[in-house]
Amino acid sequence: MPLFGVNRDILERLISLALSRGGDYADVFFEYSTSNELTLRDGEVNTVENSADYGVGIRVLKDGRTGYAYSESTDMKDMERAALTASCIADGLCGSANTIGFRPVDFIDRYPMKRSWEDFSLLARKEYLQQINDRAFGLNEYVTKVIANLAFDHSRILFFNSLGDYYCDERPVVSLVTSCILTKGSQSENATVSRSFRMGSEMLTPALQDEICAELSKNMEHLFDAGKPKGGKMPVVMGAGSSGILLHEAIGHAFEADFNRKGTSIFSDRMGQKICSEKISVVDDGTLPANRGSVNVDDEGVVGQKTYMVKDGILTSYLHDRISAAHYGVAPTGNGRRESFRFNPIPRMRATYMEDGDCSEEDIIHSVRKGIYVDNFTNGQVEIGAGDFTFYVKSGYLIENGRLTAPIKDVNIIGNGPEALADITAIAANSRVDNGTWTCGKDQYCLVSCGMPSVLVKSLTVGGSL
Amino acid sequence: MTDYRNPIIDKAIDMAIELGADQARAIVEKDIENSVTVLNNEVDKIMSSSSSTLFLQLYIDGRYGSFSTNMLREDELRKFIAEAVECTRLIAPDPCRRLPEQEWYFKGTAADLGQFDPKIESLSGEERIAKALAASQEVWGKHRKLLSIETEWGDEIEYSDIADSQGFRGQTLQSSYTISANCSIKGRGDEKPESWWYDGAMFADRLKCEGIGATALQRGLDSLNPKKLKSGKYDIVIENTVSSKMVSPLLAALSGGNLQQCNSFLRDALGKKVFGDNFTMVDRPHTPGMAGSRWFDDNGLATADRDIIRDGVVSSYFISDYYARKMQMDPTISGASVLRFPKASGIDGKKLNLQDIMKAVDRGILITDFNGGNYNHATGDFSYGVIGFMFENGVPVHPIREMNITGNFIQLWNNLLHIGDDGRTCSKWMIPTLAFADVNFSGI
Repeated sequence: MPLFGVNRDILERLISLALSRGGDYADVFFEYSTSNELTLRDGEVNTVENSADYGVGIRVLKDGRTGYAYSESTDMKDMERAALTASCIADGLCGSANTIGFRPVDFIDRYPMKRSWEDFSLLARKEYLQQINDRAFGLNEYVTKVIANLAFDHSRILFFNSLGDYYCDERPVVSLVTSCILTKGSQSENATVSRSFRMGSEMLTPALQDEICAELSKNMEHLFDAGKPKGGKMPVVMGAGSSGILLHEAIGHAFEADFNRKGTSIFSDRMGQKICSEKISVVDDGTLPANRGSVNVDDEGVVGQKTYMVKDGILTSYLHDRISAAHYGVAPTGNGRRESFRFNPIPRMRATYMEDGDCSEEDIIHSVRKGIYVDNFTNGQVEIGAGDFTFYVKSGYLIENGRLTAPIKDVNIIGNGPEALADITAIAANSRVDNGTWTCGKDQYCLVSCGMPSVLVKSLTVGGSL
Repeated sequence: MTDYRNPIIDKAIDMAIELGADQARAIVEKDIENSVTVLNNEVDKIMSSSSSTLFLQLYIDGRYGSFSTNMLREDELRKFIAEAVECTRLIAPDPCRRLPEQEWYFKGTAADLGQFDPKIESLSGEERIAKALAASQEVWGKHRKLLSIETEWGDEIEYSDIADSQGFRGQTLQSSYTISANCSIKGRGDEKPESWWYDGAMFADRLKCEGIGATALQRGLDSLNPKKLKSGKYDIVIENTVSSKMVSPLLAALSGGNLQQCNSFLRDALGKKVFGDNFTMVDRPHTPGMAGSRWFDDNGLATADRDIIRDGVVSSYFISDYYARKMQMDPTISGASVLRFPKASGIDGKKLNLQDIMKAVDRGILITDFNGGNYNHATGDFSYGVIGFMFENGVPVHPIREMNITGNFIQLWNNLLHIGDDGRTCSKWMIPTLAFADVNFSGI
């Protein structure tokens, strides 16, 4: 608490003020976040970027409605002003001013830093990027430019609410993104690989450099040969790992309970129903060690947990914050998350993945006469109510008569969430979570990750040539 | 009117020089934002925020660092800048990093560009709630297919103060108001398609608040029962609400950062005829009353009227002072300000709007929104999911769904059919309705 200059009396005073017009619930969320970034461009680490962001967000709930204000100062008068502003969501003349104690939230630290950022000096980080640069030029004869960016973000959180829940948490995130530009005659292409973990500087190992270079090499292999598939509906085999974007877009958002509370999700009325093959179980997990999407405690004081959204083909749980949990009469699932103290928490995914199936990726590919295989993506989107989702494929292959053949690139795939989930007809036993820099942009930016075993979706609409 | 200046900007530059920087630029941004969200005629969320952030760019021994903080107490700032100076000294030099040459700066008096409405400072919470409620009340409970409506009022004051150690100083102040509605409609089976509408303005009396909820609902009702079309080549018309999606990749391809990194499909295109005669796009940064108007960019460089594309010829890149040195070119400006399309289509002397263009195209697909997709910066290849309508004889026949368009931006703009004269004043760039021929659609 010294970091924010507050004590128990101050916290209770703020909660009292926040509830002074009759709110049902209030919380205060203090945050001090720093970011240190180095960028290598044109062969040298020649840009450093640091930032610091400090403040407190105060939220009041009244009958599921939200009042929110924040202050960048923790001077008492500024915080009191924010508390009173947030209190206005309730319109009573007085409210219950007492909290019910001061209860530390008990949680397991899923992302302890083994080596602090300061223990890996700027010069050492610079050298680390320089080594990646030098190796990247050797990966492919057409590499002409390399950009490598290394970022360490560190948030320190203090939270207290009108239920008496109190916690402090430290949230580190290290992200390493490497992009190569390739030029062959008049043609140019690009390839990017990223890794991100909730770790300290222990992430920066030689093995990580090997992994990034190997993936870059693979992604660059067919860039100049790749073409567009013939567009239209076709079977799509989604490779293990980053294909979890399918889950994130096709069903994950539709399971976020704010959409369901408002009745706007295509899955609003499907709780307890069978929505796909009984071989499918889909998890949203905040407990994976060092994972980008993990949360020790969410941003409204609920301990991070593993939530089955779909178990053996049955829709078993939405992803709840406190508001939607109260609406549905269930316990919150630890999905109340926010970008920073400047935002109120809303239901957000964490690490969303599908559990293992029972066949091999080879068998799945062999089962397809004509279709595509995809395993490298950049972004996705969904229409929550209509259920139509898309994701952009950076690279993949045609499948012809059960074999991977010509490379493909730069196509968008579109489908309908419930239909696509029901159309998953084969699931491999190779599930893994992708550790790229996945960031979800639903109203606020939020760190997530996703994973998947290799699956066959029997029909999706693939963009392409005629 | 409130004085938004913050003396910390001068202190920050003085401290940076005192602590060892050769040159420094400081920018203080202040943002005051209020919003009210109404769900089905009930106030659902009230938000209020005010933030001030200092951005500091340091140039030390040919090295460059960029820093930001909202911890603006003098003691905190001194510690922050001392660390920033220390970090900057440790990275590799870049001889192209320095403050702009004197002749590139904006000089003179920045005349008022008409971007601030003082009324915003006296707006009350009750007024905000009333506006958001009114948009919801237009339609909530009045149509059996309307499942929910979320409306939002927002207003914002954005102030920016730029100063550097060479003596440049400039301020900008802008107000904005927005009103929006998002409807959820009962569709087929479990489907609940959403629809939206919004308006925005820098002045309260220019904001069109009436009809926001009703328009959102009508757009949702119009989009019910969509059909999937056969794959094929179709002419497309892109509504002015989303047509910027086709322009922003061109602007990115013309930017110094992407050009210098060879990550642009318009590299080596300067002075060359890349597009058709019917495509001219110019930047008019001093147009009064436009959100994108400005006298100088983030580095203090003077803006000027400029052709970007003239009769299909790439006439200008967006080159900041840094990339000018890096690419050994003259600087222009970092990014577009206010885009104009002087060759907007006309029939019998009348400029065209969406309906005119659909009539002129006769048959094709009207795109009213995009669903995901992306493009390759190096090649210009794109693939996007689209939402909209099949139209025939110039009028919508039925909505479409689950379709992708795929192509290449250079080819697309070479197939430009029409440019409307209907850019929405609430958008920064005011991109009008656009029509293109023979675009690849993937569907059934």
